[in-house]
Amino acid sequence: MAIRVNPKIIDDLEGYGAEDVHLCYHCGNCSAVCPHADEFNVFPRRPMRYLQMGLERKLETSLEPWLCYYCGQCSDQCPRGAEPGETMMSLRRWLISRYDITGIARLFFKSTKVELAAVIIVALLTGIFFLGFGFWQGDINVYDGSNAFLPSSFIHNFDLALGFLVALFIGLSAFRFWWFSMGGKSAVPIPWWLYIKKVYLLPWHFFTQKRFADCEKETTRRIYLPWLAHLGLMLGYVTMLFIVMVFVKQLQAGPEINWSVHVFGYLASLGLLIGAVYMLRGRLKKNRTQYQRSHGSDWIFLVLLFIIALTGVTQHILHRSGLLLAANIVYIVHLMVVVPWLLRMPFTKWAHMFLRPLGMYFSAVRNEALARQKSGIETTVQARKVA
Amino acid sequence: MRTGIFFCQVEENNRLNVAAVAKYAANLPNVETVQELGIQPRLDAKDLAGLVHSGNLERIVIAGDMPGYFKPVFTKAMALAGHDPLEVRLASFREHGASGSTTLERAKAIVACAAFGVPFALAVVPGEKPVQPTTLIIGAGIAGIQAALEIADAGKPVCLVERFGTIGGHMAMFDKTFPTLDCSACILTPKMVSVAQHEMIRLLTNSEVIALGGSPGSYRVQIKCKARMVDVDACVACNICSEVCPVEVASEFDAGIARRKAVYIPFPQAVPNAYLVDAENCLYVQSAGKKCGACVKKCPKECIDLIQKDEIIEIEVGNIIIATGYDVLRADNIEHYGYGILPNVLTALEFERLTNASGPTGGKIVTKSLKLNKRTKQEEWIFDANGPAPKSVAIIHCVGSRDQNYNSYCSRVCCMYSLKFAHLVKEKLPGADCYEFYIDMRAFGKGYEEFFERIKHEGTFVIRGRTAAISELNGQMMVTGEDIIQDKLIQFPVDMVLLAVGLIPAHGTEELSRMLGLTRDEDGWFSELNYNGRPTDTEKGCIYVAGMCQSPKDIPDAVAQASAVAAGVLSSISSGKGIGHRGSVTLSEIEARAKSLQAK
Repeated sequence: MAIRVNPKIIDDLEGYGAEDVHLCYHCGNCSAVCPHADEFNVFPRRPMRYLQMGLERKLETSLEPWLCYYCGQCSDQCPRGAEPGETMMSLRRWLISRYDITGIARLFFKSTKVELAAVIIVALLTGIFFLGFGFWQGDINVYDGSNAFLPSSFIHNFDLALGFLVALFIGLSAFRFWWFSMGGKSAVPIPWWLYIKKVYLLPWHFFTQKRFADCEKETTRRIYLPWLAHLGLMLGYVTMLFIVMVFVKQLQAGPEINWSVHVFGYLASLGLLIGAVYMLRGRLKKNRTQYQRSHGSDWIFLVLLFIIALTGVTQHILHRSGLLLAANIVYIVHLMVVVPWLLRMPFTKWAHMFLRPLGMYFSAVRNEALARQKSGIETTVQARKVA
Repeated sequence: MRTGIFFCQVEENNRLNVAAVAKYAANLPNVETVQELGIQPRLDAKDLAGLVHSGNLERIVIAGDMPGYFKPVFTKAMALAGHDPLEVRLASFREHGASGSTTLERAKAIVACAAFGVPFALAVVPGEKPVQPTTLIIGAGIAGIQAALEIADAGKPVCLVERFGTIGGHMAMFDKTFPTLDCSACILTPKMVSVAQHEMIRLLTNSEVIALGGSPGSYRVQIKCKARMVDVDACVACNICSEVCPVEVASEFDAGIARRKAVYIPFPQAVPNAYLVDAENCLYVQSAGKKCGACVKKCPKECIDLIQKDEIIEIEVGNIIIATGYDVLRADNIEHYGYGILPNVLTALEFERLTNASGPTGGKIVTKSLKLNKRTKQEEWIFDANGPAPKSVAIIHCVGSRDQNYNSYCSRVCCMYSLKFAHLVKEKLPGADCYEFYIDMRAFGKGYEEFFERIKHEGTFVIRGRTAAISELNGQMMVTGEDIIQDKLIQFPVDMVLLAVGLIPAHGTEELSRMLGLTRDEDGWFSELNYNGRPTDTEKGCIYVAGMCQSPKDIPDAVAQASAVAAGVLSSISSGKGIGHRGSVTLSEIEARAKSLQAK
């Protein structure tokens, strides 16, 4: 069987952040320290090998990058400074751009400037659109009810339309992910019922990120803080997304609604803010191995998220304290950040929210299929020996 | 000759001001053009040929740390321009030692010599000084002993200074040598005895060089002879003093796996074959005569004198040979190997003593057993000759070597001694499993690759992959790693782990280098004058390096280098002309000499 080799892939990956792959001399230390490497997924060394050899297709079909939460132990112990952890991170970026059919992801990861420009342009367009829309049909001094500057019913419909678009692209990426790793391009035959047997893993990994908690068995602290921050951020984000997508009409019905309905929103905001601040601080101070190197997309991700959370909270406070003009202005700013953020979701780091649990689910399915295949071979061999 | 000088660097060199050298070069006679091309310039032979043609350059000088890297393209350019391609001269800063305090002046001189078309080595002639016949050798390991014997056998006096109580160095600790599996002591001890008996060798053990004065050819050296407190000539090594001594400390010679008394002999074949007192641990010395003193009373020869003081002597020598050797890296810095926490994780030197017939178990390979220490009332892990033998042994290569977190260099001997360990384990415990975890097998010497093949045939499992961690699970040691060839993770139980730790310069190397004014490389080893051409000379005149202190090397190489040094020393003594400091030759002297050579 002919194997197609792309010798340029190692250079290509430099744009995604992995600069030191060529230093690796394959001692295997990284795979051995990795708490998540298992019988069938020996990483990070194996993907590093693929990169050095230019085995692009093997990389495309590999699930290993999605099993890594980047605790940094491999990079800490690497004798060559080849940064295996950062390589796995970069491979995730590369894979996102591979799954994406539009080519936008590649453009964004390769050039932070392009991504930033796109964000700014979309933000400005959004601002102009909502200002025009607001002045055309409402009063800037009115926040809710009739004649509102930005009526919640319109925002709701706008959200849904946006959500549909994002879901479409994410769905496409997810399908291509499946096709590459499990479907047409995969060499392992997988029985359909295994997908059903393991489907519980999808929500499990999505909502608990348990494997991240297993990343570092720190003896000094019982709880692994990066996991907590990551989980808080992600749960806050999902809650907020759900609330905004489904309940925005109810929650912005008017100033007279009960405070208590906001409890989920408050918790989510707290999770978002604390998580974002923890990670921003970590990346600024470079206090952990995984925060040593930040790709441009990491910064855009965190900064935008922080602004979204901050403006969301601010406009809520302003609205509640009756400063409606200010609330509307902050609301516009909030939307100016939210719209580009949502639109770029399927093409950037954000996609890992869905792709990582999906990857872990796929991996569990594939592992079992491989284990069955292996034991099947062993039984045939034994049967032959007996005969 | 119309000359063009081109500065090309392969990598950044912050220690050298290239612009200043270029400015100097522009004022040299016949220099048409000087260009700084920067780091890793993209050179095109056609463009360069145009440059040669327009400037009508008859000679090109490429200046840089590694100018040879760029030579082909310049040669091609000269040929394309129709000029003599042989007139491409190299001004190599690294090769001619433009480093240290004289970097700039030296670099200028190197460029000047190349521009004049005169080999640098011919233009730089350090003054010829009259040489004292005596040679000082610092360090009496195998390299020091070899050099001392070579020089003394030629009838020249040698002063051999050793810090430890016996000569022999690390080689005396070894059981076997690779790849021949010769008995190490069988090779070394006759040489040691020869040293002791040689009339031309003045042996100063338990001594250290503390100050250096004078100039090449007649150095004045101050040596501190620490109080041995035992009369070397009178002592018959009867061991009675040791028997009565109440103090027990870890034995340096046994790499810490056995204990010795405060009055002791490092090992039975020690040279000089006499006991010595460890003043730092002696109760009598530490209490200023108030306590103990048992050994003095018991000694049948009355040769112990616990109030003897350190003595400082001054000698005049012509040449100095440094053969200070190495230490092994501290393995307890490398947490994930559990050295110092798990009892049966041993360093190479410890295993070397364990398997040695003169070691604490008489050469039996056993795991440590828990024994009650009666003195401290605590249980301790110690080697006991009747302890259980290990059923499986893992040997881990590259511990702290080739690792940017510890030593980035390869320590060169570890692969081979690890293979030797595998052989010794298999030889003494045929039933035991032996695993070698290596990254790359560096079997580079004569018979080494064959030795590797032999070890594989003996049934040692050779696994490519660095062990990531050694842990303990329910009292059983587990090694974790990746088998690269089979592409799978492995974890299995072992009873003993041997760490092939890397080598570092011997402690005290830094002070010695400062005292003698020698430079050391970035890893701490003494810098030789020229890696290829003059591997035993140093910047300082009449000071030489031999053995491990220059770089990690195996016994044959250390011996060869020691003999080479002896040849250099003997030639300077017999001709009566010593080499001066190379740094002392000034730029104007070099220029003048280069000019006169050019005229010839």
